[in-house]
Amino acid sequence: MSALDPSVAGQLAEDLPPDVFRTIIATFEEDLTRLVQELQTAHESGDQNGYERAAHSLAGASAAVGAVGLEREARIAMDHRQPEAAATVLPRLVAEAKGALEALHALIH
Amino acid sequence: MPARILLVEDTPTQAEIAKAMLRDGGHEIRHAETAGAALALALEWKPDAVLVDLVLPDFSGIELMRRLRAAQLEAAMIVLTAHGSVKTAVEAMQEGASDFILKPYTSARLRVTLDNALEKRELRQQLDVAKSQLGRGRFYGFVGASPPMQAIYRTIESVVSSRATVFVTGESGTGKELAAEALHQASPRAGRPFIALNCGAIPRDLLESELFGHVKGAFTGATDNRLGAARAADGGTLFLDEIGEMPAEMQVKLLRFVQSGVVTPLGGTKSEKVDVRLVCATHRDILAEVQAGRFREDLYYRIYVVPIELPPLRLRGEDAVLVARHLLGLYAREEGKAFSGFDAEAETAIRAYPWPGNVRQLQNVLRNAVVLHGGTLVTREMLPVLLLHESVAEPVPFTPARPTLEALTSRIEPLAASEKRLILQALEHTGQDVPRAAALLEINPSTIYRKLTAWKQAG
Repeated sequence: MSALDPSVAGQLAEDLPPDVFRTIIATFEEDLTRLVQELQTAHESGDQNGYERAAHSLAGASAAVGAVGLEREARIAMDHRQPEAAATVLPRLVAEAKGALEALHALIH
Repeated sequence: MPARILLVEDTPTQAEIAKAMLRDGGHEIRHAETAGAALALALEWKPDAVLVDLVLPDFSGIELMRRLRAAQLEAAMIVLTAHGSVKTAVEAMQEGASDFILKPYTSARLRVTLDNALEKRELRQQLDVAKSQLGRGRFYGFVGASPPMQAIYRTIESVVSSRATVFVTGESGTGKELAAEALHQASPRAGRPFIALNCGAIPRDLLESELFGHVKGAFTGATDNRLGAARAADGGTLFLDEIGEMPAEMQVKLLRFVQSGVVTPLGGTKSEKVDVRLVCATHRDILAEVQAGRFREDLYYRIYVVPIELPPLRLRGEDAVLVARHLLGLYAREEGKAFSGFDAEAETAIRAYPWPGNVRQLQNVLRNAVVLHGGTLVTREMLPVLLLHESVAEPVPFTPARPTLEALTSRIEPLAASEKRLILQALEHTGQDVPRAAALLEINPSTIYRKLTAWKQAG
């Protein structure tokens, strides 16, 4: 399955000038680094609220650039009713983040 | 249309995308990451539109919109949400959102939504202005939505910030004092005194003291210093009603005051400069008074600066019914009655009658109906017979009877009794309107007041 929804990511790449699109990818990358770090720290310290808040922000950022796989994992993480443990979800989420970034960089002309 | 846009979004990626999408619109964009920061920025910067994320770190976007509305911010608000439920949309709309956009959105969707919201906001503002100028049913103490009254409201608004003297004319009972009060209330002088003086109701030998004050001992009975209306109105508005009744010698003194702004109390030697906005009124044709030599021409030119002519009630169309409904509610409350309106026939009669005594006559008729009757609706039968006859559609000019010699000899009575009868007839005819009764009898209103006091004292 593709890491990106082309109707969102492709549209962004098409609508925005290349330098602006590059800036957005850079901002997304910064968000990813920070939010994944926040998720891991919150998980290790048992801060459930912090964990869900970081997952919510990550879901929003991912959806904005069409990173559908990452968004799906972030939404699982932000839902405290879902059965999977954070230790299971987090590695999948990190892998999706890596895949999304690669796919986005590929869209830069 | 280029506008000031406040973007409230806590995730940098989403904020960056929204800003990039709006970049070509020529908008000025500012960004807040928390609801608290957005609230402070919006109140200071007054944006035209606010794009609000619903989930924010400190408090929700819905709460932010609630606080912005409470602070009277007139911006168009657009909600950005990943939760596309009907419940969320309804809640957002209830809090004043113009529209909402589901995330992720395209730049076209964002631009169209924003443009629509800005256009809707501008139309609403234009409508508010148009409504405030055209459709006002109330204006300070006035009740009336007719075009002539809308013109009066606009004229008053256009002169409130000026110091120019306003000259209000109109038949008795048309609301000349209300016009003066509105001029004062709408002006920057509203916090200062509004002093009204009826020049026709004050005996001529007391008028100077009433207007300019006096010092103790200035005349017999002046046991204390008196400030006078002009100094009492310092910083505010001085309303001289029935200025056409002002004696010639007082006109000279008023002219000096209007020219210099200086007051010298009666019997005093020290002058004092005062700052008053002068509003004058009369029911007379003041130019005719000037031509007849009864009113000084130089004073006329000094005070007839901004004329406002109040229309008689018969020329105000549906206003007679609007005013009647307003007065009925007022009197019913005051008298503890249950009246809530008029039946159709009563309204037709009120609409058809020419109201020669204007609003004052309408007040008397309604007070009478409320006091003497009960029920929830005022019916045709509760109104005076006068209103119900078509033959009185045109006001009958008051002319004293011209009896035959035979009738005269059979009804010879003391002169004072005839005088009293004629004055009372004139008062009854005009709905107890003293200045108008005095005009019909061609005497000074102060004569009527003096006579009334004397008859009362005589029992």
